[in-house]
Amino acid sequence: MHFPSMNVLVQVAVVGFLTGGVYALMAAGLTLIFGVMRVINIAHGALLIFSAYISYWLFTLYGIDPFVSVVVSIPILFIFGIIFQRYVLSRVESDPGLGVLVTFALALTLEGVMGSLWESTGRSVRTAYTSEVIKTTLGAVNLRLPVVRIAGLGAAVVALVVLFLLLKYSNTGRAIRATIQNRNAAQLMGVNVNRIQAVTFGVGLATIAMGGALFSLIWSFNSGSHEEWISKMLSIIVLGGMGSLPGAFLAALIMGVVEAVSAVVMTSYLSPIVFYLILFLTLIFRPQGLMGVKIRKG
Amino acid sequence: MKWFKSTAILFVLIALVLTACGGGGNAAGNNNNDMGNMNMNDEATEEATEATTEETVDEGPIVIGASLPLTGKFSEPGTAAKQGYEVWASIVNENGGMLGRQVELVILDNASDQDTAVADYEKLITVDEVDLVVGPFSSFLVIPTSEVAARYGYAFVEPAGGAPDVFNRGLTNIFFAQPAPGDEQAIPFINYLLSLPELPATYAVVTQDDPFVLGVMDGIKAELEKAGSELVFDEIYAPDTTDFSSIAIQVADLNPDLIVGGTVFEDSVGQIRAYQDAGYQPKGAFFTTGPSLPGPFKEALGDATEGVFAAISWSPTAPGYQNAEMVARYLEMFGGEAGNIPEDVANAFTVGQVLQQAVEATGTIDNTTLIDALHAGTFNTVVGNLSFDEVGRPQGSFMLLQWQGDSFKIVAPADRADTEAVWPKPEW
Repeated sequence: MHFPSMNVLVQVAVVGFLTGGVYALMAAGLTLIFGVMRVINIAHGALLIFSAYISYWLFTLYGIDPFVSVVVSIPILFIFGIIFQRYVLSRVESDPGLGVLVTFALALTLEGVMGSLWESTGRSVRTAYTSEVIKTTLGAVNLRLPVVRIAGLGAAVVALVVLFLLLKYSNTGRAIRATIQNRNAAQLMGVNVNRIQAVTFGVGLATIAMGGALFSLIWSFNSGSHEEWISKMLSIIVLGGMGSLPGAFLAALIMGVVEAVSAVVMTSYLSPIVFYLILFLTLIFRPQGLMGVKIRKG
Repeated sequence: MKWFKSTAILFVLIALVLTACGGGGNAAGNNNNDMGNMNMNDEATEEATEATTEETVDEGPIVIGASLPLTGKFSEPGTAAKQGYEVWASIVNENGGMLGRQVELVILDNASDQDTAVADYEKLITVDEVDLVVGPFSSFLVIPTSEVAARYGYAFVEPAGGAPDVFNRGLTNIFFAQPAPGDEQAIPFINYLLSLPELPATYAVVTQDDPFVLGVMDGIKAELEKAGSELVFDEIYAPDTTDFSSIAIQVADLNPDLIVGGTVFEDSVGQIRAYQDAGYQPKGAFFTTGPSLPGPFKEALGDATEGVFAAISWSPTAPGYQNAEMVARYLEMFGGEAGNIPEDVANAFTVGQVLQQAVEATGTIDNTTLIDALHAGTFNTVVGNLSFDEVGRPQGSFMLLQWQGDSFKIVAPADRADTEAVWPKPEW
């Protein structure tokens, strides 16, 4: 273990914070889907990579910026989510374990399809602003903030605020929240739970479309990349509290900063261990996660 | 019902044993080329076997088996290796085959998995009874599969396993068909650095935890230490690392003259982008793999490729036996542009050339004879003349490439260079 200069430490922490924002957007849909359906969508990572490929494809073929191509990828993922939930997932809803298996099958199918379409070469989108940075100072520390990651955090905040407002003030949002709190009671109050589940799955996938666009600008990916990312996203939503959007946001920021700082204090090889240590300790003392609620059985 | 179940299992077991015995008998009957596998005590059986097989086998093709990573993590280089083998077989067959017999390839997909690869070679040798085998892609798969080939006495010419562990297990059936072992990949770059008026005073090594690149990095560190350059940062990262911002910020803070990246491909892109973000501008940059994949490297990095060095075993324009013919046939069979043909195609083609010349020189496909011939001979290939030492290490050297403009150029050794290297490199 070694302690780097203050300049390095602050710079790394700030970039880690920005990265955490992107993680938040990637994990938001996963926690929302779990909240409503009690199903862990293992295909979330594969759908993230699929969205990144849509952005990559539209950029490479037509020069469409990933921030613009979400106009295409969000509806595609939203509609796919509704259809998949309505005609596949809903048929196994009585057994959440089976639901996990079905989404796992979707992940493997997507991996195969993406592998045959785009091969295994790592891809990423390189725009005119890819290597642009904003230079600023924080006290005595000189900071270089990558524009793409600032945009990532900004987009994550906007997307999560829109999602929050929808959940808080729209009728569908109220119905989603009611379903999260108590599915049977919501149904008794006249909420069409089946429809709400399909819409939630669609909305969850729509957020991943946004996450995928940002992902394509920051990191390289290939069809097999989803495995490492689904484990990262699952860790985030468990730490934040399964089903809690603010919890996922907080946990994602923690992960971004902890990962980055521990990589320079220890080594990048050991940095994931620190996050998992925090996760274990949180689960010991607060099993429902940072902002999750305890579910009473019965 | 319990007795029924037990009886059924017993029947299945008996059937399996009988099938296995049948397979064994068939194996003896079909392979008269591998003397090591024959029962020398039973002369009558041997004579009968030879009589049968001389009639049938000599008219049939020479079957060559391989297990390649056609899916999974290494699917791209694995597919390129398959194309290389197919281009070679196509040219050989067009020219009358080997020893007057056509060549037939049996290529299995091991999904980039070691256990599957091992099982595939077991199957190729014991069930399919192929005449010859050739290697898979990368040291990761070559190391376990070469043991299988050794167990059955098969020669194992392979295109992409050059890590130190390939050669230090006492096996004598391996022949690595590249100009030099992996850990010598950076020697042309070291020689270039030593020829500079001023050696980089400081350098950093940022490498993936991969047996191949770690071997190369050890070689570089030993040579630069000897020459007097100071290692100021040395980091090994996990193979699934995608974000290099923390590493890059540390490197930028130390600002070494030279950055050496032990990369496989995606990580070379990730590292360079992170160095750009962190504002790190070295005088020189060398990456093991990445810059040698021209299309994807340029697409991901644009002008940031300028001045980046890497080692390469082959170039479509470099002189080499049958190189122009291989390039033309590849483009005919698979399309694309010569500049984008993966190096792995040429390495697999080299395997075929080496094997063919050994077979034709000895006039046999007996693996024991071939192993001796492969140790003794010198072979003309697309990557230059190749010969092998007692453990199959090739006795040649890599070429040094540097990105200049829209493509990379060969800058060393002098007799194969397209142009001179640029130092220090422009900013990325």
